[in-house]
Formats: sequence, structure tokens, C-alpha cells
Amino acid sequence: MTTIHAPRPTALEVQTDNYLTHSRGFLSWALTLDHKRIGVMYMVGVLASFFVGGMFALLVRTELLTPGQTIPGVTADVYNQFFTLHGAIMVFLVIIPSIPAALGNFVLPIMLGAKDVAFPRLNLGSFYLWVFGACFTLVSLAMGGFDTGWTFYTPYSTTSPAGGVIPVLFGVFVLGFSSIFTGMNFIVTVHKLRPPGMTWFRMPLFLWAIYATAIIQVLATPVLAITLMLLVIERTINIGIFDPSMGGDPVLFQHFFWFYSHPAVYIMILPAMGIISDLISVHAHRHIFGYKFIALSSIAIAIFSFLVWGHHMFISGQSPLLNTLFSLISFSVAIPSAVKVFNWLTTLYKGNISLTTPMLYALSFLVLFTIGGLTGIHLATLNTDVHLHDTYFVVAHFHYVMMGSALIGMIGGLHHWWPKMTGKMYSEALGSTACVIIFIGFNVTFFTQFYLGSKGMPRRYYDYQPEFQVYHVISTLGSYFMASGFFLTAYCLISSLIGGRKAPANPWGGGSLEWQCDSPPPHDNFATQPSVGDCYDFRSLRWDEATQGYVIDPVLAAEAAKHPLH
Amino acid sequence: MLPSFQFISAALAADASTPGSVWMPPGASTFAANVDLMFYWINYICYFFFAVVTGAMVYFVVKYRVHKGQAFRSDAPLHHLALESSWGVVPLLIVIVIFYVGFRDYMHISTPPKNAYIIKVTAQKWAWSFQYPTGATSDDLYVPVGRPVQLTMRSNDVLHSLFIPDFRVKKDVVPGRYTYLWFQSDEVTQSGQGRHLFCTEYCGTGHSNMNRKVHVLAEPEFDAWLTEQGQWLDKIPEEELFFRAGPKIYARCQQCHSLDGTKGIGPSWKGIWERTHGGEGSDGKFADGSSYSSVIGAGKKFATPEDYLRNSILVPGSELVFGFGNAMPTFKGQLNDKAIDAVIGMMQHLNEFDPKTGKYLKEAPAAPKVSMK
Repeated sequence: MTTIHAPRPTALEVQTDNYLTHSRGFLSWALTLDHKRIGVMYMVGVLASFFVGGMFALLVRTELLTPGQTIPGVTADVYNQFFTLHGAIMVFLVIIPSIPAALGNFVLPIMLGAKDVAFPRLNLGSFYLWVFGACFTLVSLAMGGFDTGWTFYTPYSTTSPAGGVIPVLFGVFVLGFSSIFTGMNFIVTVHKLRPPGMTWFRMPLFLWAIYATAIIQVLATPVLAITLMLLVIERTINIGIFDPSMGGDPVLFQHFFWFYSHPAVYIMILPAMGIISDLISVHAHRHIFGYKFIALSSIAIAIFSFLVWGHHMFISGQSPLLNTLFSLISFSVAIPSAVKVFNWLTTLYKGNISLTTPMLYALSFLVLFTIGGLTGIHLATLNTDVHLHDTYFVVAHFHYVMMGSALIGMIGGLHHWWPKMTGKMYSEALGSTACVIIFIGFNVTFFTQFYLGSKGMPRRYYDYQPEFQVYHVISTLGSYFMASGFFLTAYCLISSLIGGRKAPANPWGGGSLEWQCDSPPPHDNFATQPSVGDCYDFRSLRWDEATQGYVIDPVLAAEAAKHPLH
Repeated sequence: MLPSFQFISAALAADASTPGSVWMPPGASTFAANVDLMFYWINYICYFFFAVVTGAMVYFVVKYRVHKGQAFRSDAPLHHLALESSWGVVPLLIVIVIFYVGFRDYMHISTPPKNAYIIKVTAQKWAWSFQYPTGATSDDLYVPVGRPVQLTMRSNDVLHSLFIPDFRVKKDVVPGRYTYLWFQSDEVTQSGQGRHLFCTEYCGTGHSNMNRKVHVLAEPEFDAWLTEQGQWLDKIPEEELFFRAGPKIYARCQQCHSLDGTKGIGPSWKGIWERTHGGEGSDGKFADGSSYSSVIGAGKKFATPEDYLRNSILVPGSELVFGFGNAMPTFKGQLNDKAIDAVIGMMQHLNEFDPKTGKYLKEAPAAPKVSMK
């Protein structure tokens, strides 16, 4: 029942044709329909945006070293543009597309044993929409930038004198379509291209997470698109929708915005949760504990995500009745989150844990997500939220979830699938050192901000009271340390491309289908349709010194077949 | 329901003000004790679960770590319905209790008592204006001790949010509608040392400087302050108006209007007397193409320069100086005729003021004790 017996080349048979060498030239990439190449192009774009967004983060942190002006020339207006750009780039250009569009594109069809996604042309179209969206952001910068905050709250955003507001609104509008098309593509792919034998409850958990994410992308993103269009209409032809001086309602904008942007938080975190489920299981060489609860909790989170947007508006003037309902429903998110965390934890119990770089990222995720999730309780509780709302406590909380969890999950997944994507192994020593530096730097940067927030430091402040300075300095030093970890990661990965050892097909001992094809995979992924077993049953795998990877041991496989897991 | 917690909160409500604690600033309102209690209880729950998760994680990693080539064990459980269900049910019960307690306290925080002392709050980029029942206004907030105070708030331009950390209260100030916030402080503040009052909804350039102080005064001092505050302008003789009242009012203008010619959100006041009186700069253009000299003068839109200046304060959008947006809120209802006289007088005598700070440079005659704040 559980054996894996796909035809695969032996160690000596060197495969020369892979997706990277299949065809050459600029156009072979620019016009490719290959999901792997599109995934790689997304990854390059996302990482480049991450660099830019990260630089703005460092500028923001540096400016906050002292009250008032710190960097010569950075006035309050410039600072406002810095934090706005940091937020907008990280949310719309980095985190939302990072896992589904970059890693998901690469891995999803291979995990299904398929040749490609259901609609390869639509897939390429999504990528170009992402590129256009990113270009609009550049245009916006050239036209004077924007200082509205990534949330575009009205009526500030409709009256802001900054010249780049309309281009960036168009940019986010276009990026929304990129996200919608990717989501549609993945939903159809998961429904129609699963191989024979892969029932819903045999899918790798990463696919469950990507599927749940795709549903949110398709249902929620159109609301953002139309909201931003209304904003553009209001700004250009003065039709009063959100601006009270023209008869509009600014709180309506917040409802529209968070109706998308709260689900968008789960668009960011759910795929990372999927990655962690796979990472912990594979690197602990141990069947995932409580598969069905983890899978269904992803769906539960996707559903709850649509019902809790009002908790961003507890002090907006919204009625106390609505606040009460939203507070109550927000707590419900704690349940699927707790189920996931404890199931991951139990997956370590009686496991066979390898402390590889991806595993270190998975363990970091577990710690950081626990902190991020638990501090959500302070913010969902009505009386404490009144004090903590719009302070650094919130900033710290969402960085623990968005960066400490979603981005750390993405970086962990990148290290996990890097040998598959590039065919090269990176240095474990460098990779794990960088992970530890990032983990420490992250906590120094953001844990300090919980403290700042509960003491009353408001967010989005250029200037602040002198009593807060020491904590801002600690936070900024932490951010420099964390940045050095990311630079080390970049060095580790890039140097592996040049001098890295050739990656075996299965360096970690994974059981899902992508570890059955070569590293890097051939253009068509699989020569024949692979057969599917339980992708979390690792009993037939054995470490092979010759290939420096895991191989299927016929003896172990026969033994495993005699004792099916249940 | 939950009688034990009611008991705890009742016991703590008696002790209204708290000194600053590890995580919280000093608590100086009747809300602070309950909010802090809730915050710390949630903290303890967080500490517990964090210790469980990281403790178990570290223990498992140390105990079950293997090295390459080692044979794998495969005796681990795959699922456990009762255990997994408990991971949903136990947190559910905990958060329902937290929700309920937080909700009860929130209903108290969000319901102003009927007998509250009402202060009107107007927020605009980037200043607060507090108006008291007597008609007096101030830039800092003054409240009587031991009495519920309700702020009835509105905004003249964009979203703002009024936050007093020591009182644990916060509420958005929304253009186009009124919002309420109430509190009661039982602790008088030291003279000259109010509590922080911040704007916490991003509102642009001056957002982080839109902070003021809250002063809690004993009832007799508050009444005396209020009486004096209502009359401070009236007490100043006309001839001393421009240098006594002018700089105090200018403090609300200086975020946007410099005195030294620096271009700000609005045009600098430097040379404003000359250009409105047909002197240097009177050919300066407005956004609609007209110039100062074409709108000011007998038979024109503004018969006198003073009319033009007064109109610019009360209806700022009507004549926009070329190169500047319609950014200024109206001061109708905030500056009376005498206050406007003071501003115009200051513009007339601008060379007698420090161009950086707006301080009066000449020796002022001994002044009767008045204060704006």
C-alpha cells in the first residue's frame, strides 16, 4: 500500500537534460510555459523586492535611533514614504506572492506528478501581471512617491499631496489580478491533475495549504481591487465615496480594505504553515502526526479568515455590538492554530530528527509563530486592545506572524527545495549559522517592540518621547544583526550555485513525488506517471553514502509493505 | 456568571491608580487596574503555553536527534483523536473566558456615564483643540479630578486617534461623524507635568508631533483655570494684543507657516504685510491666475488687506496661493474676532518677532498673568 516504486535513474546514469538546460536564450525564459521556470522567475523577483523592502526597513530603523531627525535629509515626509514603501513592498510584492507563486509554482505540479499546472499560459500571464504591478510601483516613486501607509486609509489617501498615489493604487490593482489568476490556476490544478491514487487525504499538506490559500485569493482579492478602483475614482474625478467632505464615509473604506486584507493575512501565513508541516515531517523522518486535523484546520482558517476583519477596527468608532461579535469570532482562529502547533510538536515526538538548515527554520517558525499567535490574544481581547491598538505592540505582533512566521517559512522552504530547484547543495554550516543569526536578530528587534507598545509608543512615529529611545536603539541594533544573517543566507545560496556539490534526487529523505524526480527536474518532470503512496511514510528510505542522498531500500520497502501504517 | 472574577475586579476597582509596572505605564484612570489585570493574566497564559511549546520542542529535539546513517525508529503514533480534539477544546474554553471578561470591561469603557463632564475635541492636522462648556478653549487637555469626563470628538480633515496611555483609553477621531471617549482620573497631576496624549492614527507630516499633555486638576483649581482661560484674551488691552496673544495663537500656525520665508505646507508669513498692501510681491499669483493686487482694494473682492487675511483664516480654500494645495482647515469657531486681530497685528509687526521661534523680540511691558495653556 505504501510503497513508492516510480522508475527513476540509478546513481550512475547521469541525466543531462533538465529544465534549466532544456532550451537556451532569453526568450526561452521570457516566453516559457514551464511552471518551474516561472517559479524561478517569480523567486528572483520576490527576492529582489525583499532586498528593496528590507533596505527601507533598515532606513526606518536607522532613522528611529534618535528622536527627531537621525539621518541627514530624512524629514518626517521622507520617513513617512520609507515606512509606506517598506509595508507596501513587503506585503504586495514579497509575502503574498512568495510562497504560492514562487515556491508553489515550482513544487505543486511536481508534487502532483503532473507535467505542469492546469493553465500554463495563464500562469505566465500572472507572472507578467506581477512584473507590471512592480513597474507601477517604480513609476509611482518617479512621480513623487506615496506616503499613505500600506493601508491607504481615507481620507488621507484621497487628499495626500504625494504624486505617486494613483500609480501605486493601479499597481496593487494589477498585482491583485496576478494573485487571483494564480489562485484559480492552483484550484483547478489540485482538482483536476491529481494522479490516480492521490485522494484528497493523501495530498502533501503543502498542497492543502496552497489550496486553502487559493480559495481566499480568488474570493477576497476582487474586493480589494474594486476598493482601490473606488479610491482612484474618488481621487481623480472627486466622486465622494470615502471622503466625508464630499459625502463619503471613511470607515466604509476600512471595512472594504480589511475585508480583503484580513484574509490576506492568511494568504500569507497559510502556505507557510503548509511548508512547515512538510519540513517538520521530512526532517524528523517521521510520519506527520494528525494529518487530517492539520489539513482541515487549513480549511477552517480559510473560512474564519472572512469573518474577523472588524478586529482591525475596535477603536474606529464602529459600534460596540460589532466589536463584541468580531472579538468573539477572532478568538475562534486560536483553535485551528493551536491544533496545528501541537500537531507539529507531536510530530517531533519519537521522531528521527536531523538538524538541517530547513529544520532549523521550521523550529524557528514554531517558536516565532507561537509568540505571534499568543500575543494575538491581547489584541483580540476588547479592553486590552483599546490600550494596545495602533501601538508598537501591534507592530511587533504582526511582524512575528508576517515575518517571523510567513517569511521564515518561505526561507525554510527555499532551503528545503533549493537542491531540487538548482541541483546544488549549499553549505549546511553557513546556512544554519545564518538561520541562528536571523532568529536571534529577529527576536531582539521585535520582542523589544512589544515592550515599547504596551508602554504606550504609538506606531508610524518619526519623532518620539525620549524615554522610549533606549528600546528603539536595541530594536535597531537587532535589525542590523538580523540583516547580516540575511546577507549570509544570500552568500550561502549564491555561492552554492558556483561551488556547490551536485544535489542528489532526495537529499533530505522526503516522501512526496518531487523527491522522486531528478535534481533539477527534467523539463517534463516525470517520464511516466509516478505511483502514489503515503507521502509521509519514510520507512522504506535509507541514507546512501555513495550518492549522499536518500534512496529506497528494497528490503525496508518490503518490510514496510508488510506493516501498513494506519 | 464568573463570580470569582467579579470579586477580583471589584477589589481592584477601589484602588484606581497604579504605579508603572514591568509592561505597563502608570495607571491613572479608573480603567487602568482592570485593563492591567487582564493584560497580565493573558501574559501568564502566554508564558505557560510558550514554555510548554518551546520546552517540549527542545526536549524532543535533544532526545530524538539522529545522525546520518543511523537506523530510523518507526514506533511513533500517527494520530490520536482525543488528544487532538483536546488541543481545540482547551484553548477554546480559555479564550471564551478571556473574551467574556474583556467584553464586560470593554462595555464599561465604551459607555460614558450620563453625568460626565463634556469637553468637545476638534482634531486637525496637526493640533488638538479642546473646548469646555464655558466656551474656553485650550491646546492641552485640562480635566477635573475624580469626575467622569466625556470627550466628544470630531476631525476637521483626516482620521486622527486620541490616545492617553496612562488612562488606557484610545478612540479614532473621524471626519464627518462624532466619536466619544470617556475616563475618570482620581489622581491630580503635578503642576506643569501632565500625562502624555498622543495621536495614534497616521495623519501625515506632523503625526508624531501631534502630542499634548493631560492635566488633572483638583476641582477648585480646575474652576479657577477655566475662568481664567475663558477670559485670557479679553484681559489683554487692544494695543498689546499683537505681541501678547499673537505668538500664542501662532503656535498653532507654525507647523505650516514659517516666519523666515521657508516654504512649508502653506506659504510663509514673511512679507505678507507688504504683498497684501500693494508693496513687494503684490503681483504674486493665486492658483486661479489672479494676483494679490487684483483682488485686494476698494471695489475689488476684498476692500481691505485685513478683509483678505481674515477671509484666509476663516475660508482658507477660497484663494489658494499658487503652488500650494487646499490643505488648511478653517478656524471658524476657534478664533474669535479679537484673536484674528491679534494674528493680523502680528503679521503687521513681523520684524519685531524672532523669525525662527516667533518670540517677541522687544521688551514687553509687565504683563498681567495670563496663560493660554
